Amino acid sequence: MPWSNQSGGGGPWRPNPGPWGGGGSGGQRPPDLDEFLRRSQDRLKRVMPGGFFSGKKGILLIVLGLLVVWGFSGWFQVNTSEQGVVLRFGKHIRSVGEGLHYHLPYPVESVVIANVTENRRLEIGLRMEGAERSNIGVREVPQESLMLTGDENIVDVNFAVVWQIKPGGAADFLFNIQNPESTIRAVAESAMREVIGRSDLQFVLTEGRQSIERSVHDLMQRTLDEYLAGVLVLQVQLQKVDPPAQVIDSFRDVQAARADQERLRNEAQAYANRVVPEARGDAARILQSAEGYRERVINEARGAADRFNSIFTEYRKAPEVTRERMFLETMERIFANTDKVILDSPGGQGVVPYLPLSELGRSPRPASPQSQNQQPVIPQVTGPRPANTTGVPR
Amino acid sequence: MKGFASGAALILILIAGFIGISSVFTINPTEQAVVLRFGQAINIVREPGLYFKFPFVDGVVRIDKRILALDLPEQEVIASDQKRLRVDAFTRYRVIDPLLFYQSLGSVERANEQLATFVNSGLRRVLGESTFQQVVRDQRTQLMGRIREQVNQQAKGLGIAVVDVRIRRADLPEANSQAIYTRMQTERQREAAEIRAQGAEAAQRIRARADRDVVVITAEANREAERIRGEGDGQRNAIFAEAYGQDQDFFAFYRSMQAYEQALGSNDTRLVLSPQSEFFRYFRLPSGSAAPAPATPQ
Repeated sequence: MPWSNQSGGGGPWRPNPGPWGGGGSGGQRPPDLDEFLRRSQDRLKRVMPGGFFSGKKGILLIVLGLLVVWGFSGWFQVNTSEQGVVLRFGKHIRSVGEGLHYHLPYPVESVVIANVTENRRLEIGLRMEGAERSNIGVREVPQESLMLTGDENIVDVNFAVVWQIKPGGAADFLFNIQNPESTIRAVAESAMREVIGRSDLQFVLTEGRQSIERSVHDLMQRTLDEYLAGVLVLQVQLQKVDPPAQVIDSFRDVQAARADQERLRNEAQAYANRVVPEARGDAARILQSAEGYRERVINEARGAADRFNSIFTEYRKAPEVTRERMFLETMERIFANTDKVILDSPGGQGVVPYLPLSELGRSPRPASPQSQNQQPVIPQVTGPRPANTTGVPR
Repeated sequence: MKGFASGAALILILIAGFIGISSVFTINPTEQAVVLRFGQAINIVREPGLYFKFPFVDGVVRIDKRILALDLPEQEVIASDQKRLRVDAFTRYRVIDPLLFYQSLGSVERANEQLATFVNSGLRRVLGESTFQQVVRDQRTQLMGRIREQVNQQAKGLGIAVVDVRIRRADLPEANSQAIYTRMQTERQREAAEIRAQGAEAAQRIRARADRDVVVITAEANREAERIRGEGDGQRNAIFAEAYGQDQDFFAFYRSMQAYEQALGSNDTRLVLSPQSEFFRYFRLPSGSAAPAPATPQ
């Protein structure tokens, strides 16, 4: 911007040529005017040798023509995004919006045009490198992005400020501040560091983004308004808010630890979710089996009781016979199914002399079962010789 | 003669124009000026516009009227708690008294030099009286205000008003930053370990709780199962008692028969029998009139 140069007293003043530019440049330096007039007169003479325009009339005409051109040089065009500030002898007399406008020609009036709707963007902590504003050549600037937090930690912050010239503040912007871009940058940095310096690291890294953006925005706007800078801060965008590169691994490890915690908890929960229902299933099984047992026992008892009752009913009709029959039948079944040794020991000495009994011919029992109705054959063994046993299956 | 006359006229006009031009000057919105006559200030112009002066005699010194920027290089300051800080400040000021400014400083460059020393000493003084915490956290705004006041006091005689002194950056020197990084790292490590341990704790709790639940559920089920079994057994007893109570003698016999059969039914039973027994009563005599003897195998 032409008005942002630093040279002190002279001021960066330059005429605005306007769309029909160059109109004033001749009249501005008197010594040249003389030369110019003479030369154009010569030229006219050469073009029109008749000398019709020569003399006073001709000069007058030329001066008139120059005046017209000079007059027209006051037209200027303001684009839709711009605002023109018209100065008369350096004094700000009016501001104009878009369209075609006229100011009295130089040196009486001049115009300065500023783009007021363009959103300008300032990156802090990052530098765009390369000619265009593409993301290709982004370089980090740690001395800008590393800042102290209130709890004496360091955080790495990149942010962008979007701003424009205040509506109606073009004159302020143009004439009040020596170095608007660098002033906004300095104010932005200072504001961000002030706000971050008041906050704790955890807050900055987590939920603080919005409130930090808002505070920085307010602080910047307030400061710039104090400077009467004519700047409207539209937005403060926090981009990267990270722990510094040196310690970011530890922070990631904390995240990992949180994940681990969650994982351990989930695993345990999975275990619980598996084991407890299994136990409930087991419990149900135990209960069912107990109930099964109860039913079985009761039913068996009922059955046995019924059986007994039936037998008992019959028994009462003929007690002696039934008793005898039952005894014999039972013995029959028992003896049919067991090894037997019949010892005739009249003296009643018992079996002791014949021990060990276990070694008595324990022959394998014939496998062929016989019909149940068959009368058992009971071999009689007489005398002291041990009997050969014959298992007779029923 | 005519040509000479017109030439002389032209020269006169030009001289008049030149005098006219040198007797006016414009002041732009960014400027203010001191008008000097033979080195003596006779007029101070603060508003933009067109002004007159004596040609050739009066000189115009233009001075910037905008807010001027002064960015100071970073410098190290020691806070009152002996902590070192690298402070990067910037100043914004404007010339409020052009004459005084012209007399005392003359140019913006000189003003910047002069102000830089004021701001530096102000920074050192004010920050040196404050603690690190106050600079970074608690009182930044107030401290900046105090620096501005002090610099303003000093700059008053120079025709300058300091609009703002702001601390752009207040950082720790590299060595201290390293210490902070180390501390941050150990803090995170501590935190991570704690979180992991908490995770393990929670997991243990959940598992233990689950195990407990399993044991309780099983125990309750067993208790209930025992009760149910007991109920079954009880009913069984009642049923038997009712049935068998009708004739104890017969029951004893009947049950004995069953028991014998059950107990002796297996293959490995060996019976040593005496032919004298009741079972073999007819073994010896078809009439079976032997004295009754115990028949059951013992």
